[in-house]
Amino acid sequence: MTTRLVLKKLIDAVVLLAMVLVFNFFLFRVVDHDPLAKYRGHSKLSQAQRTAIIKRFGLDGSKWEQFVRFVDRTLHGDFGRSFNSTRPVVSEILDRLPNTLLLVGISTVLTIAIGIRIGIRAGWQRGGRFDRISTPFSMALYGTPEFFLGMLFLAFLGAKLGWFPTGGVTNPAAHYTGFSAIVDRARHLVLPVATLTLGYLGSYSLVMRTSMLDTLREDYLTTARAKGLRDRDVMRRHAVPNALLPSVSLIAIGFGFIIGGAITTETVFSYPGLGLATYQAIGNTDLPMMQALFMFSSVAVIVFNIFADVVLTFLDPRIRVGA
Amino acid sequence: MVGLALMTLFVAMALLAPVFANRSELQAAAGRNNPNLHAPNGKFWLGTDEIGRNVFALVMWGARVSLYIGLLATVVAVVIGSVLGLIAGYARGWVSRVMLAIDDFFLVLPFIPLAIVLALLLGRSPTIMALVIGGTFWAGGSRLIRAQVLSLRERGYVERATALGASSRHIIMRHVLPGVAPLIIANASLIVPGAILAESTLAFLGLGDRFSPSWGKVLEGAQASGALTLNAWWYYLPPGLCIIGIVLAFTLVGNALERIFDPRLGDR
Amino acid sequence: MSDPLLVVRDLHVTYRSSRGPVPAVRGVSLHLDRGETLGLAGESGSGKSSMAMALLRLVPVGTTITGSVTLAGEDVLAMKPGRLRAVRWAEAAVVFQGAQHVLNPVHRIRRQIQEAIDTHRGNGKVADLLEQVGIPRWRSDAYPHELSGGQKQRVMIAMALACDPELLIADEPTTALDVMVQAQVLQLLADLQRDRGLAMIFITHDLSVLSTVADRLAVMYAGRLVETGPAKEMLRGARHPYTKALAAAFPTIGDQSSRLAPSGLAGDPPDPMAVPSGCPFHPRCPIATEECAATMVELHEISPGWEAACLKL
Ligand SMILES: Nc1ncnc2c1ncn2[C@@H]1O[C@H](COP(=O)(O)OP(=O)(O)OP(=O)(O)O)[C@@H](O)[C@H]1O
Ligand SMILES: [Mg+2]
Repeated sequence: MTTRLVLKKLIDAVVLLAMVLVFNFFLFRVVDHDPLAKYRGHSKLSQAQRTAIIKRFGLDGSKWEQFVRFVDRTLHGDFGRSFNSTRPVVSEILDRLPNTLLLVGISTVLTIAIGIRIGIRAGWQRGGRFDRISTPFSMALYGTPEFFLGMLFLAFLGAKLGWFPTGGVTNPAAHYTGFSAIVDRARHLVLPVATLTLGYLGSYSLVMRTSMLDTLREDYLTTARAKGLRDRDVMRRHAVPNALLPSVSLIAIGFGFIIGGAITTETVFSYPGLGLATYQAIGNTDLPMMQALFMFSSVAVIVFNIFADVVLTFLDPRIRVGA
Repeated sequence: MVGLALMTLFVAMALLAPVFANRSELQAAAGRNNPNLHAPNGKFWLGTDEIGRNVFALVMWGARVSLYIGLLATVVAVVIGSVLGLIAGYARGWVSRVMLAIDDFFLVLPFIPLAIVLALLLGRSPTIMALVIGGTFWAGGSRLIRAQVLSLRERGYVERATALGASSRHIIMRHVLPGVAPLIIANASLIVPGAILAESTLAFLGLGDRFSPSWGKVLEGAQASGALTLNAWWYYLPPGLCIIGIVLAFTLVGNALERIFDPRLGDR
Repeated sequence: MSDPLLVVRDLHVTYRSSRGPVPAVRGVSLHLDRGETLGLAGESGSGKSSMAMALLRLVPVGTTITGSVTLAGEDVLAMKPGRLRAVRWAEAAVVFQGAQHVLNPVHRIRRQIQEAIDTHRGNGKVADLLEQVGIPRWRSDAYPHELSGGQKQRVMIAMALACDPELLIADEPTTALDVMVQAQVLQLLADLQRDRGLAMIFITHDLSVLSTVADRLAVMYAGRLVETGPAKEMLRGARHPYTKALAAAFPTIGDQSSRLAPSGLAGDPPDPMAVPSGCPFHPRCPIATEECAATMVELHEISPGWEAACLKL
């Protein structure tokens, strides 16, 4: 039963990924009648140069031929060359991927773990002291664009107080080795991670709090209390697991926003990852780069969502039997 | 209540911008004779930016742009979301399934990268930004409305009306729409803050219109000009705080509306 | 064994709501002997569940309970939280209204029953308990949604018996079930009650189901008792006009359509926030006079062991 459900989810994922592929193709070719118009210095090109470039970026032939070639190339990991650096887009992305994985990975884990805890506690003791402090705090965080938060961190903790470096991933002036190199890297991570974590903490804790409040109305919580369970056990065994379920998919959808947040956060801290690459691609109107980055983030979000769906299938017995 | 007061303040800011600051003050040339990155004083209440423009004027006019884009984007998102949600909920069979798939697709697509791509391809004027944001922001609302339509169906109004020979259009206009309208309104007031945040993010990433700077655009300028390391707080604090304020205002009002329309949520 | 298991005196339950305090129970006194079954009847909203839940202080935060509840000689309302937890389920267990939602959907039923046993360090066996209520042992691995409504109610009953309580509060245990199942569950409860010597408070809006189980009846209206007496006699000939109307409303067991609008009763039960003056039933009462609107009546004995709150009796 479970395998079949997981299989179904995987098929859904493949359909979504195929939709992304098609969408991507049309987005970049149909919307734009003259793809070269965005190529810097295009007006000075000779006809021969034009044809060469068009060929190089796969823009020749009928739309259908282009599409087939596009799919073929994409599946082989060939996204063309960056308009800007003329290096293969894939190498650009692979170079920067580790930095982003580190930043987004740590922040996602932190923001989900902390956000859920805050939400649980605030919801459980609605109107209590913790709730009265944490909920306005969460609201304020929710309302704060993460890049503004990053700017504040940079200005005060970075520039003014000098506690943390204000950008990059390492200190280029010093040539650290071994342990001090790790410390240096970690110091460069602190502010971006804090920014991205706090930037999305508010929405996660609010979502979890609401879910908790919904669960608290459930009759089975009265049953648990009537059985003589301690409050702590009522919460741990009955309220939390049930409140987590509906938030799983919201958390997964929220991952798409964290990806967006990584773009601005990396921009604020000149942190050389995919987010900064996105910012630079915007500045240079670097379409091949942009296309690959968009494709890449869509795939990441879809994979994350599928993962959440599968997790949910295992957590919620009602889904497992297909109810 | 706080939300309503804040909201009034920002709307007033947007409406009164021309009274306090001439539009020409936004031009790059306007600051030619002013000191650059100057701290606040009697003439420049919020100091000047890196090319000598009056930050106060930028922030006042920013309210206009941010609100305009936020509201227009919301209208677009609500219209698309409602229409698709109504159809998805009302239709049966493959139409409904296809709509759901499209909805799913837009729900999982990472919003900011998508909007970046669209803005990059389509242009950067405030109206286009609003269309871009609205056009990518509707999936959640359409999902909600579909669910509501389905529950209305279950209550049997629709079946009864169909049995009486009413046309689909009549049924949607007379029976379904009134049922979902409160939901649409509450949902809209919660889309506004999201749209404003999205706009500020896009503007911050350089996708804003240079000639009608929103708060996000001002923040971009602050970031790029090094105002952060130069400790020029008057440049980046006001627009940032304005964004927080307006988002909170709409969120609070939205939550209140939701509570009014759905008393079940009353004790949240 | 001489003093009663449960004595309730002048119980008031007031909920807090956004519209202000909601006095759902307004001065109820009753008593229950060991092994005795009290049928508690009344329309929807009359405060039956509120009264019953208050016996174990199972009310939302912010609700005030006044009066006194003495269970096996101990004052429940004065208990410290630890003692209260120990008393819950071990001395008095509840079969809740609405079987569909009272079991936690994400845990297997075995775990939920075991949890009650473990909390009170009991030594009941889940499989035995399930068998007693007519559910095969192997079903203990099921999740609630895999069971039918009647089965869920049986599981709930098994769970209530897990710690061998002296008192069972059954809050409309059959209401959500269809007629056949209703009769089975009713019979099950009656058998268990007899075999185990349980005291039971059996709540229903439907007087007719009480004939099989109850020794005594108490009828509630607008948060107060209006009549209480021996079940057989009362079912044969109720005295209070409200009880008469209620009895007329449910000629057969489990007629669902009459649940919210009993045919013998015109009008709606009063909103607990705007209870009529005098006798709260007077606006709907066929024999009410001007006097009834002005005078508040208490329960008074109308024949031995039979009390009613009506000026005309
Ligand atoms: N948590 C609460 N907050 C406010 N009012 C409540 C609450 N719970 C119940 N009430 C109100 O108290 C009154 C009595 O409710 P109660 O559930 O005790 O009635 P009941 O006799 O059990 O009815 P039913 O047959 O429908 O179960 C009702 O008017 C109800 O609206
Ligand atoms: Mg009840």
